[in-house]
Amino acid sequence: MLRLPGGAVPGKSSIVIKLVLVITLCSTLIFAVALGYNYYSSRSILEKELESNARNLSLSLVNRVETELSVVSRVTEGVARALETGRYSEKELHTLIRTTVEKNPEIFGSGVAFEPYAFSKTSRLYAPYYYRENGKIAFTRLDTSYLYVPYLLWDWYQSPRELGRLEWSEPYFDDGGGNLAMSTCSVPFYGETDGVRHLKGIVATDITLDSLTKLVSSVKILKTGYAALLSRNGMVLAHPLKDAVMNESFFSIAEARNDPSLRELGKKMVAGETGFIRYNSLVGVRSWMYYAPIRSTGWTLAVLFPEAELLENINRLSLIMGVIGFAGVLLLTAAVVYIARSITKPLRSLAEATHVMASGNFDLELPVVRSNDEVGVLAQDFQVMKESLKEYIKNLTETTAAKERIQSELQVAADIQASLLPRQFPAFPERSEFDIFASMDPAKEIGGDFYDFFFIDDDNFCFLIADVAGKGVPAALYMMVAKTLLKSEAQRLGEPDQILAYVNKTLAIDNDSCMFATVFCAILEISTGTVRFANAGHNPPLVMDSQGVRYLTLKSGFVLGPMADTVYETERLIMQPGDTLFLYTDGVTEATNLTDDLFGEPKLLNALQDGPRQESDQMIHAIRDEVTRHANGAPQSDDVTMVAITYRGTVV
Amino acid sequence: MEIQTRNEANTTVITITGRFDAVTAPDYEKKVQELIVGGDIRIVVDFAGLDYISSAGLRGLLVTAKLLKAKGGQVRFANVAGTVKEVFDISGFGTIFQMDATVAASLAAIA
Repeated sequence: MLRLPGGAVPGKSSIVIKLVLVITLCSTLIFAVALGYNYYSSRSILEKELESNARNLSLSLVNRVETELSVVSRVTEGVARALETGRYSEKELHTLIRTTVEKNPEIFGSGVAFEPYAFSKTSRLYAPYYYRENGKIAFTRLDTSYLYVPYLLWDWYQSPRELGRLEWSEPYFDDGGGNLAMSTCSVPFYGETDGVRHLKGIVATDITLDSLTKLVSSVKILKTGYAALLSRNGMVLAHPLKDAVMNESFFSIAEARNDPSLRELGKKMVAGETGFIRYNSLVGVRSWMYYAPIRSTGWTLAVLFPEAELLENINRLSLIMGVIGFAGVLLLTAAVVYIARSITKPLRSLAEATHVMASGNFDLELPVVRSNDEVGVLAQDFQVMKESLKEYIKNLTETTAAKERIQSELQVAADIQASLLPRQFPAFPERSEFDIFASMDPAKEIGGDFYDFFFIDDDNFCFLIADVAGKGVPAALYMMVAKTLLKSEAQRLGEPDQILAYVNKTLAIDNDSCMFATVFCAILEISTGTVRFANAGHNPPLVMDSQGVRYLTLKSGFVLGPMADTVYETERLIMQPGDTLFLYTDGVTEATNLTDDLFGEPKLLNALQDGPRQESDQMIHAIRDEVTRHANGAPQSDDVTMVAITYRGTVV
Repeated sequence: MEIQTRNEANTTVITITGRFDAVTAPDYEKKVQELIVGGDIRIVVDFAGLDYISSAGLRGLLVTAKLLKAKGGQVRFANVAGTVKEVFDISGFGTIFQMDATVAASLAAIA
């Protein structure tokens, strides 16, 4: 029984591991893609939202700043227009300026600076200025308080004078005004002399940037996001980094950072553009920045959203999703393992059962699989297969036993057949006149060759060789009959032609199957060495005498058995002492080797010529050896039978 | 052994090639029996392509010849030569069967 190599233990490629690997990897991949896409699209949605939020926030801040500034602009404009339309005495002028400061809490100080001699023909410069100091309104004269540079040369005076319109000054620190960042709104006013409009002076209103920077600084975006205000020149006006306020400009920062893109950004801001960009803030935080101009002053307002804080929610969400996904994959893996095990468990037990069956044990109980799925069907089929195999093997065992019985009976038959042939050698040790040796090597299958020799009387010794057509039991039975008849008729009739004719007649009766035997039958008259022989279709024997070795010339005669009225003829041969007659069946000459070459008659002739001639037993053994050598391992297909008789002559 | 039959001049010519032995003799017997059942009882066997004949082959020839004789039929052998001829000579079969040198001669003789 075939036994499969190796055990039934599944290796690394077990179904469970395959399923787990494939399903886990696939679901992990799907989940990772979904999570990644979700993160990416959430981010881009967030960025879009952010831009519009940033824009709204900036614009509202810009509006609020503009509102505060426009109050101051309007007041300043009002004073200028008042000065153009009415004539104000010095006292009335002072009252106007003082009232303006008093009524408008957002105004730090206000003054009117006249062109040379525009106020009085006698004094060249005149510039009264009211301002707040310690909660009261204080007064000074700019024409005298500017000690080294007359007010005429200052920006707040020069710009509106040259441009002829309202101008906000670049913010500055006021030396006397309590170290506050200030900006001045300057409006030119004009008079008419002889229909010619000419500049009379500048109304200047100072504001501290305190409230504006407070307004801007109060903006808190997320945790650390903020708003910043930059002047027309890029000066930082409001920023959570207090050190930078009024100290650093956008361009100095760009210089310090050696960042050309920052400089470009500064240029865009100064040019009054609007933008939404990614930006590393002054404190080094990656942020999104929206910037927009404050038109009236040319300043820029920027709002910054720190990226990390913006993405915090998304990141947290993604993390939670990741954790949930991981847990899900773990759960899925567990489920897959469970299902795969439930599928492979019966498969495994089936495999184990197969392993036992493979060693030839068909009596084991197969594991019960109750499921209706494919595994259940397999288990049922397996059960059926096991029963069929068991039945088949039972039948096979019985058939084999029967065949073996027949085989052994045939073997017994072959043994009996062989035992019927005379096998005692030397056969007649008391007779020195001749010696005889014979051998019959049956083929695997029981066959029909035989030989026989016996005394008919004291002087007549009969010897014969025969080959029954075909093989197997019919040939063996026919051989028995033929051999028995030949011996009895030989002893009764004593002449070869009569023996053959009589036996033929007997065998031919009811021989519908046309069984036949070829027989060479001879009788040696010991006293004379005369051999009387007759042939029934058998191979001619070989004569070995002083002349050499030759085939005996004889009349063939028809084979024994098929035709009742066949006639045979007795011929004669005189043997001299030392002469040998060699009889054989076609099992000798038709012995084949592996390439189907026949041993053949010439080879037999040569073998006899070259072989030992003195002893008939040695002669036959030598021929047998030659035949075996020729066959070279090819199976023997026919019985190999030989008889050698050597005449020694009568004892004198 | 290959067995082919053809009809020629009201006679069935059986051509046998290869080895005529215990293995192939039943095929030959079956073929001839079929012919006899079909009423073809005039037969010429062409031995030209036959390499070898064993005693079982000879028995096959005898069986079929006997059947044909019982039905009043005839069989002739053509082109028996070489080792097959030797076997025929040794066994005496050459004396009991009617043999011709050619198929044409057999056909002529049988007509």
